[in-house]
Amino acid sequence: MSLAFPRRALLAGAAALAAPSAMLRAARAQKGGSLVATTYPGIWDDSFREIVAPAALKTKGVEVEFQALFAVDQIAKFAASRGAPPFDAFVLDPGPRITAIERGMFEPFDGGKLTTLTKLPPQLVDQWGAGCAAQVVGIAYNPKKVPKPGGWDDLLKEPWVSRLGLTGFGTTFGTVSLIELAKVFGGGETNVEPALAELKKVLPKIAAVGTPAAMPGLFQQGQCDVMYTNTQTVMALKDRGVDIEFATPRTGAVAFFTTLHIAKGSENAEAAYKYIDTVLSAPVQQALTKPPANLVPVNKDIALSPNLPMKSLDEMSGFVTHDWAKINPLRGQWIERFNREMAK
Amino acid sequence: MSGAAAPAAPAPGTITGAAAPLRSRRLTTWGLAAPLGLAYAGFFVAPLLMLFAVSFYADERMTRWGLDQWQRFLLDSFHWKVVADTLLLGLKSVAATTLLGFPLALLYRGASPRWQRALLFVAVMPLLTSVVVRTFAWIVILGREGVVNQLVLGLGLAAEPLRLLQTELGLVIALTQIEMPLLLLPLLSVMARIDPRLLDASASLGASPWRTLFRVTLPLAAPGLAAGCLLVFASSTTAFISQSVIGGGRLVYLPAMIWQQAMVVANWPFAATAAIALLVSVSAVIAVIAYAGRVAAGHAHG
Repeated sequence: MSLAFPRRALLAGAAALAAPSAMLRAARAQKGGSLVATTYPGIWDDSFREIVAPAALKTKGVEVEFQALFAVDQIAKFAASRGAPPFDAFVLDPGPRITAIERGMFEPFDGGKLTTLTKLPPQLVDQWGAGCAAQVVGIAYNPKKVPKPGGWDDLLKEPWVSRLGLTGFGTTFGTVSLIELAKVFGGGETNVEPALAELKKVLPKIAAVGTPAAMPGLFQQGQCDVMYTNTQTVMALKDRGVDIEFATPRTGAVAFFTTLHIAKGSENAEAAYKYIDTVLSAPVQQALTKPPANLVPVNKDIALSPNLPMKSLDEMSGFVTHDWAKINPLRGQWIERFNREMAK
Repeated sequence: MSGAAAPAAPAPGTITGAAAPLRSRRLTTWGLAAPLGLAYAGFFVAPLLMLFAVSFYADERMTRWGLDQWQRFLLDSFHWKVVADTLLLGLKSVAATTLLGFPLALLYRGASPRWQRALLFVAVMPLLTSVVVRTFAWIVILGREGVVNQLVLGLGLAAEPLRLLQTELGLVIALTQIEMPLLLLPLLSVMARIDPRLLDASASLGASPWRTLFRVTLPLAAPGLAAGCLLVFASSTTAFISQSVIGGGRLVYLPAMIWQQAMVVANWPFAATAAIALLVSVSAVIAVIAYAGRVAAGHAHG
């Protein structure tokens, strides 16, 4: 890797800081299977600690310790500690997954080591890892305040536009939603300019532009009544008593998978396979489907929630998907373009 | 802060035999300061130098050296606007906290010790809750369906809910409350030390209360006021959580830009460039505030 040397030189200090914990882990690993896995902060963190960790210990004898980090933070942290991986397993969305593959951050993955392999849709397991949850992105709206929107372009029309909450290209769901909006106006996966141009025209009317993490709060507080988001957020807000419904745009909902990977250089790869197998096992997938996790399961034995816009995982093959190898190189510019166009 | 330098130790050699204990005392002081000094050198100065070095990588994969990131930052008017907006936000917070905080400090100076304790407690109280809690409380207050708007709509003062959240006005209101303790703490401690006889003297020499305020109280309080303004400025220009949560996506300030470049775009060299731009621009304004405080204080003593 071309970036290895200067980064390593500069970040030797950071790596040195990680060394004691790595030694501690190595000492524990000798006793039996144990690993450090990442999880997303918030609901993922809570449910993985409560459901996955005990199940892994009980069924596989594997001790899992979790580090809650957003996908981009996992990439940054791994890059900062080359040679001594700060954790053994990643959980990533498609964009950061491609970045990690390009930068050689994964051990090759052997799906044959999973006992759950036959229960998974075949496209979910590849040489880099395995999908553990599906995400479905569409439009969320408050049925008491606005009518049900029909498509992405409705977001820019009254009555929705003056109640719209916007977020940029910082997250996977934000990026794919803006791409879908661009498609309606003649853009596409590599051209979001039409979406930005249309948004700019209605900008003064838009109710809120926020960071991705702020959106559920803004919706709950009534600052906006329509936004793009995933089904998981809709169900989480619904559980809290917020008036919110999911609407599938007429051009189709967007689907992507959250995937698990084994970190390059991990000394606990065997334990990591067992951990991934646990996440994909039917009892754990069933438990993760329930509130507050509300994940969309990938194990075919599990029935999908009636709140989802599909009856089975097979139906998801009709959903919109994106090529992140094409999106990633452009995303940095898009983030900046969004800043500029939205700035007051 | 300014003018707080301890009175110089007696010059060595003026008293015979005082040199040796003085030297050992100095050694002890250095020894005691060493742990923090070394920690600062290792965990603050060294990373800062690394940050500086990173900004001179030409590409985001950090393979070549070059001035590309600096060119990209400096030759783009959008970035200059972000710098200006960030500094202006700091100055507005300083102005608002000073306008509201200084009268409270005057009240504090004249109050009985019991009231002084009560006022001090009230001033410090916001520090006892997390900045996250304070920030989210402001969402509830300023939001479309928040306390302020319910009151305004309920009283029939406006037909539509006011836009407060995600505006600079809303952000300055929130920062004024959030940063107020940083202004009050140094200001109150200086205020309490002002000799009341000086104010009586000013009055007996025929100065009006306003003249006394501007010619006596204000210059004497200047070091504390400058220290407070400096803390408020530094803290509000870098208040990432409040800026992004209350300000929203349409108000772009440097801290959010740095975070985005470092964490989302993974362009560390550009993030480092923006971080240094923030450091330099904030330090420049702070130097001006500190200088103004020294001049005003010198005016009072001179």
